[in-house]
Amino acid sequence: MALTSKLKEAWIGIAAGKVTLPYPLAPHPPAAGFRGRPIFDASKCIGCGGCASNCPAREILIFDPCQELRVIHYLGRRCTSCGRCAEVCPEKAITMSEAFELATNSIADLEQRLTLFMGSCQRCGRCFPAPTPLDALKLTGYRIDDVEAGRWVFRSRPSAPGETTHDVDIEL
Amino acid sequence: MGGELLSVALSVLSAVANVALVLLVAPLLQGVQRRITARVQSRQGPPLLQPYYDLLKLLGKEDLESGEAPAVQRFAAYLSLATVLATACLVPLGFPAPLSAVGDAILLLYLLLLSGVCTLLAGAAAGSTYSWVGVSREMMSMMTLEPILAVALGVGALHARSFRLGEVLDGSPWSAAVPLSGLVMLVVMLLGFQAYAGRVPFDAAEAETEIMDGPLSEYSGQKLALFRLAQMCKLVVYAGLFVALFVPWGADLPFPLAFLAFWAKALVLVVAVALIAATHARYRVDQAIRRYSVLLAFSLVAIVLAAFGR
Amino acid sequence: MPSRALLSKLADRFGSAIQRADLPASERLFLTVDPGAVRQVCSALFGELGARYVITVGADDRPFSGKYLVAHDFALDKEHLLGSVMALLPPDAPRVDSISGVVPGASWAEREMRDLVGIEPAGHADPRRLVLPDGWPDGVHPLRKDVPWNELPQGYDPGRRYAFQEPPPNCTVVPLGPFHPALDEPAHFRLFVEGERVRGCEYRGFMVHRGIEKLAESVLGYDDIPTLAERICGICGCVHSVAYAQAVESAASLEIPPRAEYIRTVLLELERLHSHLLWLGLACHLIGFDTLFMQAFRIREPVMWMAEKITGNRKTYGLCLVGGVRWDVTSEVRVELRQMLADLEREWRALVDAVSGDRNLKARTRGVGVSSPELVRSMGLVGPVARAAGVDIDCRRDHPYAAYDRVEFDVITAQDGDVWARLVVRLLEGFQSIRIIRQCLEKMEPGPLRLDIRDALPAGRLGVSSVEAPRGESHHFLVTGDENRPRRWRVRAPTYQNLQGIPAMIQDQMLSDMPISLGSIDPCFSCTDRLETVDLQTGAARVYDQAALRAMAREGGHGR
Repeated sequence: MALTSKLKEAWIGIAAGKVTLPYPLAPHPPAAGFRGRPIFDASKCIGCGGCASNCPAREILIFDPCQELRVIHYLGRRCTSCGRCAEVCPEKAITMSEAFELATNSIADLEQRLTLFMGSCQRCGRCFPAPTPLDALKLTGYRIDDVEAGRWVFRSRPSAPGETTHDVDIEL
Repeated sequence: MGGELLSVALSVLSAVANVALVLLVAPLLQGVQRRITARVQSRQGPPLLQPYYDLLKLLGKEDLESGEAPAVQRFAAYLSLATVLATACLVPLGFPAPLSAVGDAILLLYLLLLSGVCTLLAGAAAGSTYSWVGVSREMMSMMTLEPILAVALGVGALHARSFRLGEVLDGSPWSAAVPLSGLVMLVVMLLGFQAYAGRVPFDAAEAETEIMDGPLSEYSGQKLALFRLAQMCKLVVYAGLFVALFVPWGADLPFPLAFLAFWAKALVLVVAVALIAATHARYRVDQAIRRYSVLLAFSLVAIVLAAFGR
Repeated sequence: MPSRALLSKLADRFGSAIQRADLPASERLFLTVDPGAVRQVCSALFGELGARYVITVGADDRPFSGKYLVAHDFALDKEHLLGSVMALLPPDAPRVDSISGVVPGASWAEREMRDLVGIEPAGHADPRRLVLPDGWPDGVHPLRKDVPWNELPQGYDPGRRYAFQEPPPNCTVVPLGPFHPALDEPAHFRLFVEGERVRGCEYRGFMVHRGIEKLAESVLGYDDIPTLAERICGICGCVHSVAYAQAVESAASLEIPPRAEYIRTVLLELERLHSHLLWLGLACHLIGFDTLFMQAFRIREPVMWMAEKITGNRKTYGLCLVGGVRWDVTSEVRVELRQMLADLEREWRALVDAVSGDRNLKARTRGVGVSSPELVRSMGLVGPVARAAGVDIDCRRDHPYAAYDRVEFDVITAQDGDVWARLVVRLLEGFQSIRIIRQCLEKMEPGPLRLDIRDALPAGRLGVSSVEAPRGESHHFLVTGDENRPRRWRVRAPTYQNLQGIPAMIQDQMLSDMPISLGSIDPCFSCTDRLETVDLQTGAARVYDQAALRAMAREGGHGR
């Protein structure tokens, strides 16, 4: 009967009580484990570049001004908080904080930059073997991402038929 | 001469007070309705004073003048509020209506009709496709709803044997020895009240969507504020009308008690409107008109009964 | 073995035309046939053999085999078989016979193939573009390997216009663009209306085509793509990331750890729960019942919190990698999950109880947007739309994946095929989802969450995967490639097929029932924004935007 179903529907609502929260007038922290903004700890970072290689949004740039220095620059604009960087970091230098209230007038607020002093490998200067073939594409060696303009630069081969292969710098 | 002037001055003053009361209280009643709706929907709801804030905000907004005839739209907005406020001066709201000596039930009916026509005018002046849709639906609704209102007043007038407002708006449908017609009209008006209030499930014509479709779709800024205020005041006026016709008891008590009694009854009606609106889906226009027609049929029975003194 | 059985049937009839058959698993069959034989083979397959059409994929395989590839994916649900009929086409002028005459549901996929890869479906009734914007130059096909992913082609012509269908006679049409200040998302429906009845419909969409497949083929790696895949849809993200991962795993013959399968199942079912509740809320909102909309969303909220506890986010779970999952269901989470399911089941039951007696709701949904079983079969409709019409298909049972072969559940069907039937199917599926999650929690054993992949994934291998999204079958077709990324990845969302059934569903309906009919297929993107009606009698064209459509849905009645 229509009336009883209406009464039931109204009762469902009233019995539930008020469920809305006063956020943002009162703070409401997310659940533990919420993936918010990644925080980079320069003291633990060894400069392997795994975070940059595994970021699906290509938001972590690496630039080597010289043999001993490596700049790791997290842009934070397209970061989706997927947590891959934290997951692959061998030194647990990246933690996913719970910060999600990130609106700002200045995009530079979202950036994090680490300038690291790198030890040199005696054989070639700097190289890290890819641990698994799935990482085969991941970049090793010297990096020349364009930090000024905020762009990832990597070398890839086009696969158009009939063309001789050569390296192409593709900017993202 | 001095006495006449004094009484005229008093009428004017009380009319102004009446209008001010309605203007001030109507948004508060809507605030109560919104809180109740929110409670049924398990949420917090806006503060009670939110309708005031909304009106203030609208008054400060830019008027886009997006309709086809903005001058007519503005006129319709002013006229709408003016007619509703004029009606308010004719209906007792806890104290005798200041202008009840001026007009009779026919004037009251005319003014109520005019406020409906203002909505049609608004939609026609806007000229956009979906405001025309709203206008046609409003017209269809009015064709069945206004006669019911006329019959309600007519039944009262027949029993009171006069069109004078002071007598009609004083529980006149109950004046018969066996108030059958009064009973029928009470039920009819109760069932139809939601339609007069223009709320779900019977708001097919006016507030069709969240962004104000229907006749008011091309309204913005101050014009919209006036219409919104008019709608809020309309609820007060209709509540007053209903109470005066069907549940007038307590109007004879000394001043503060009569006033409180009236507003208590009006509050009950307002809350009922909110509860019904919160628990129903909107009827399609054809379904709504079908229901109005049934009510109209019963009200015609009532007027026949009233003509025979029942 | 179903794939062998089908192969022998087809080999008997078309022996010489079959160039190659790959049977990588008992429930997979990839047939490569002569290009000239494609139409006959498909005709036999979809006609007499009763296969269900899934999708047509075009791919530029020139760098690898020197040819173009066309693949018609099919499903034999009763035999639990998924497969593809493929042909390799010469590179100079790739053409293949269109199968849209045999399978009307292939209409869009072939037009998309023509637009994006440049393979011409010879004999296709509709020569117009589907996906590419009007001004895009001819001859530039974005999914070809020689077209870069990040450059605008030369010769973009902003003045070029789409050729809309001619309306039935005695009509003048005023063409209006799909962009309007009042819209929040672009899409375009054109209805041909006679008085108050809808006589026909033309849809133009793909205005938010984002080039996801090209990105995956050009710049992302195997493990980056799940992050992209879960953003294909705003509600069923987990489905796409699981389907992708499964396609790669199937192509590379990877068997993921059982715990990962259970976890994928749990999250897929959680997603189904919240998606169906969202749909219920939206459907009630469309017919003006805001209270039920609020209540549906209130009941849904704990599901979102649970997802946040398990994966760190309410919707973009970031769950899959090739070879497993990233998040575990810990023992604290299990306790909370069980509690949440108990509360949810109670609330859901109360809701179902209240809604089933609601005549108000039934009046707006019974007999509206009807799809017959014949329409379902010919257009390849999937999901609750198909099940509500009595067609018993469900990928979880027909093509088991993840842990669905180890849990018991019922597939809910209804008979009437109208909006009310779809509502009932979705509501009752919720209980099955709760049942599945409970069984997964029982049966999950401790173990690793993902494979340790030591060898490179072989290139050039085919994988297909069908996952039952809340809206229907989500099907991914994948060819593995070099450089840690796929060569071709085709995503077919369920709404892709279901939208093609809309014109028939709204035929001879009242105009005002159109929005709820569209809403009842649970479109993944809001394509009901734009509606242009052409009154056949007066010739007047009127444009309704989303607000006006909702208005009409709520008060219904006679559109004017």
